[in-house]
Amino acid sequence: MLTALLLACWAYACIWDILGPVFFLGFRPLIAGFGAGIIVGDVQTGMLIGGTLELMALGVYTYGGATIPDFTVGAILGTFFGKAEGFEVGIALAIPAALLLTQVDILNRFLNFVFVHRADAYAEEGNVKGFERMMRIFSHMIWGFSRAIPVFLAVQFGESAVKSVSTFFENNPWFNNGISVTGGILPALGFAMLLKILPVEKYPAFLLLGFVLFAYLGIPLVGIALTALATALVYQQLKYRGQEA
Amino acid sequence: MEAAGTKLSRSDLTRTFWRFIFFNQLGWNYERMQSVGYCYAMLPILQKTHPDPEDFKEAFITNLNFFNTNPVVGFPLILGAHAALEEAGASLETTEGLKVGLMGPLAGVGDTLVWALYNSIILSIGSVMALEGNILGPILAILLVFFPYLGVRYWQFFWAYNQGTGLISQLGSGAIMRITELATIVGLIVIGGFAPSIVRLNTALEWSRDVEVRGEMTTQVINVQQQLDAILPYMLPLIVVWAAYALLKRGWSPIRVIGVLLVVGFLGGALGIFG
Repeated sequence: MLTALLLACWAYACIWDILGPVFFLGFRPLIAGFGAGIIVGDVQTGMLIGGTLELMALGVYTYGGATIPDFTVGAILGTFFGKAEGFEVGIALAIPAALLLTQVDILNRFLNFVFVHRADAYAEEGNVKGFERMMRIFSHMIWGFSRAIPVFLAVQFGESAVKSVSTFFENNPWFNNGISVTGGILPALGFAMLLKILPVEKYPAFLLLGFVLFAYLGIPLVGIALTALATALVYQQLKYRGQEA
Repeated sequence: MEAAGTKLSRSDLTRTFWRFIFFNQLGWNYERMQSVGYCYAMLPILQKTHPDPEDFKEAFITNLNFFNTNPVVGFPLILGAHAALEEAGASLETTEGLKVGLMGPLAGVGDTLVWALYNSIILSIGSVMALEGNILGPILAILLVFFPYLGVRYWQFFWAYNQGTGLISQLGSGAIMRITELATIVGLIVIGGFAPSIVRLNTALEWSRDVEVRGEMTTQVINVQQQLDAILPYMLPLIVVWAAYALLKRGWSPIRVIGVLLVVGFLGGALGIFG
């Protein structure tokens, strides 16, 4: 019960963070899973589930305001069930949970109409106090509870359902293999979405360079990022040389 | 409207800044998106610059108009510039013009810089560290969000306020374009390396045949994955990324592409083609 409440609060905090202060980027699966891992007392599982989902979802977070699978809730539930039933079960539950919650997000953005229409009424009356009260107390509730309630219910009542899922897994290794291959290729979507918004046709050479650095030279990711920064700086220095003199 | 300006104090601006930080997208909805968050942040300033109640009411209503931009790069900049205009006694037409004029372009720049590039890079590094069991992965990601984000928003708000009306010409000077170009190049190189390191796909297929070697029959097993690696390492992950990209380019929605990847990955794995 306490765990369910704490995880629900964490889900609330994660969604509130991205809509308000953006202090810790809690809605990203890595962070959501990490926090859930601390709550359930298994940080390693939290990082494993969160990190895996993060890499899977990477790039679906490219637009503001777009509705995307809710990997935040996915990471929290995946961590909770992953601790008890193992990593594969956690991931296998996280993905459908994330897809299911997509619909909740759409609903919640509709329900938020309430605020803008109340705000209009307050403005007509010149009622600053009323508007401010609405913002402080209510404006985060639809977002927050739309995530917190599903998390609470799933953690509180979902365990027996999850048990039967995990038994099924043990008896059917082919199913496991299917899930793990799927987990491996889903990040392709994230990269594809990133590429779609970047001018790939204009600068294909940089993409190729990154590939060579990794695939043939085996440079670790931080090294690739630093090489990328150096390359970009040199490129701009040469390109704008004439304009600065 | 009013011609004479009203001097804003430092505490007026600070108040607006913190309201922006804590409330910018709360109440987000399909109809007017960030409008209530924007209005809430601006309200203390509007109250000061519109002392007449009727005049204030009009400003209150107007500032509930549609508003949407990037909350990290863009929103605070527009807010700061708007504060400067309010102080100068600008009309509602002028301030709405500023908001509408800047929110679109800044959303494009901000989403690319913040969501697509910066977040992707720090979170993929953080995730790779986390998957190795290193607790610094998520902690580093949080620190690289907390401090730079707060700093860049604070700086934008006060910079835009100090620049005031000269802002639009400042933005046109090419500085933002150059930062975007820099980030784009870094992003492309990093994606070129990250994509094959993160997308995993190997084939488990083997192909065996009986061959006669010096008069003796032996079975020769050909591992398809090894053959592919010899041609081009990470060939299968590259094909998947390219295919997803091509589908998106053809106008497929991300959810549909996820559907295809789920089916291909699950069937391929379950049937033992991939593994």
